[in-house]
Amino acid sequence: MDHPVIQTQNLTKSYGSRIAVNRLNLTVEAKQVHGFLGPNGAGKTTTIKMLVGLLTPDSGSLRILGMDAAGDKPKIRQRIGYMPELPKFPKHLTGEELLDVYGRMYGMSKEERRRKTAELLKMVGLAGRGRDKIGKYSKGMQQRIGIAQALLSDPELVILDEPSIGLDPVGMVEVRDMVKGIVKGGQTVFFSSHLLAEVQQVCDHVTIINNGLTLFSGTLEDITNVARPSRRLVLELQKGSDGILQALKALPFGTVEARDNVYTLHLNTTDDVRADISRAVSGAGGVILKMQEEGGGLEDAFMNLVGKAA
Amino acid sequence: MERQRRTNWLNGFLAILYYEFLWNLRKKKIVGLFILVFAIVTLELALPPLLDYYNGVPLTPNSNVVFDFFNGLSGIFLFLIAVATTMNTISGEFETGSITPLLTKPVSKNTVFLGKITASFLTLLGIYAFLTVYVTLGGVLIEGSQNNLQLVPLGLVGLTLATMVWASLVILLGTLSKSSLVSALGSFGVWIGVTIAGGILGSVFGQTTILFYAPGNGATGSTTGCGVGRFEAGGTFATGTDNLAYMLMQWVLNGSNTLNFCGFRFRMGATETFLASSDTIANVALRDLGVTLAYLVVFLFLSWYAFRRAQIIESA
Repeated sequence: MDHPVIQTQNLTKSYGSRIAVNRLNLTVEAKQVHGFLGPNGAGKTTTIKMLVGLLTPDSGSLRILGMDAAGDKPKIRQRIGYMPELPKFPKHLTGEELLDVYGRMYGMSKEERRRKTAELLKMVGLAGRGRDKIGKYSKGMQQRIGIAQALLSDPELVILDEPSIGLDPVGMVEVRDMVKGIVKGGQTVFFSSHLLAEVQQVCDHVTIINNGLTLFSGTLEDITNVARPSRRLVLELQKGSDGILQALKALPFGTVEARDNVYTLHLNTTDDVRADISRAVSGAGGVILKMQEEGGGLEDAFMNLVGKAA
Repeated sequence: MERQRRTNWLNGFLAILYYEFLWNLRKKKIVGLFILVFAIVTLELALPPLLDYYNGVPLTPNSNVVFDFFNGLSGIFLFLIAVATTMNTISGEFETGSITPLLTKPVSKNTVFLGKITASFLTLLGIYAFLTVYVTLGGVLIEGSQNNLQLVPLGLVGLTLATMVWASLVILLGTLSKSSLVSALGSFGVWIGVTIAGGILGSVFGQTTILFYAPGNGATGSTTGCGVGRFEAGGTFATGTDNLAYMLMQWVLNGSNTLNFCGFRFRMGATETFLASSDTIANVALRDLGVTLAYLVVFLFLSWYAFRRAQIIESA
């Protein structure tokens, strides 16, 4: 595939006077697991709804799998699997009927529908519950059937809008494993979430938006450099002293903050400097009880970016 | 990967029909109303001979039971059947949020709309076909051989089209408001408004031209003329969209006969009727069919336009 799976240029959507998505430039290459991050109301769901044709952009271009995708484009949707945020399905249908009727819309044969239905219900943990009405499903089970229907047609692009929302911790771990499984199948996953840990564990690329504006788009490694996250080392000593404070301040790795016997070093380097710090503390007569690294991850980067934009 | 599938328009359309039938057949209000209408039709069939028997009157076979069924089943029944069948068809999808996964499947909005309308039409046709078969079998069984059975299919189509006028109004209001309640109450408001206004117009001014083009019962025509000082009761029937089935059947049977529309006026303290207009049954039926189709086209076009433009902003 020589074109990006998703490419938007200056994509804009307003609701009245409020700009929900503001000149969004987004590129998702094939076989990426691309996380789409932003606080509530950032414009994530609006962007996704434009990608799947539920909303029409006000301006800008939107290409999916190399084709113009703005508006009602069934041919593109044939190649996309989409799971909405908190999906709602017809309550009178059973899980099996839902997958069967959606399979018909994808033009799947009867045999193919039957096989995929059984396979997907098992995959999402609903084996044995396929003949129950969706109206009787719990919120978590509706999320699971939502994931199953998104994967029904073996789509080239899977778009998941907050797939873990409403799930218990076990369910969240299972969803993460499912996403990892999808990627192994060679599909591209575009996946919105406000759970940073989830994105960090699952995605290799990330785009962060806030107030409809793109704040960052790149690899997870890039984001730590771009956002200059505040990495910290927190030392708990047996007993604090001025000598130890002076020894730590003399180190060229950043600034030091002391409170009783706890010293926090705000690092300005990405190197592993724990040995140097340990030597400095010992040299000043201190005894380290605990040394813990904090920050430096996606959460700090996200907070820095969103904080700057706010 | 099984990505190259036979995805043509027909597959999508049939899938939407299947999706709709799975829903329609499980709507409790459709089943409830169907049972009610079924019970009423049963009473219509069985009550007269039972009463005759109870009163010791010898049973006189009525060979027009089936034919008259198409004249009797109108008004509120058609409206209620239309509401029960279609009040959720589009608005229900918006209310529950199931429109979101539906519109992200590889079926165009046009196909979804067409599928839903076709499913509504076929559901109504199915309901009426069942009732018609029941009435025909019951009529033959209780009353003996029946006249004009060859016109039953035409009556069936007429009944369905007549109900589709109300159904398309219900669908239009549902698409515009995205609320089943608004669609049901709004269309009931229109129905009762048209019925009351038609009644008042008919009582005060007689069967005026405006009634020819109103949905519902429309103008009442008489095959026996307009008497002085009184309204001829014999051979009168409604000629509006609700009575399309009977009008189409009359067209085939008595197309060249004249149908008179009477007006009222006050003269020296008394009310008298006069001939306001008259036309052949064929022309009146043709106009009725045209008016029915015009309402259908206008309501469904507006509904389609609103559906095309609908954007799914909020998650339900």
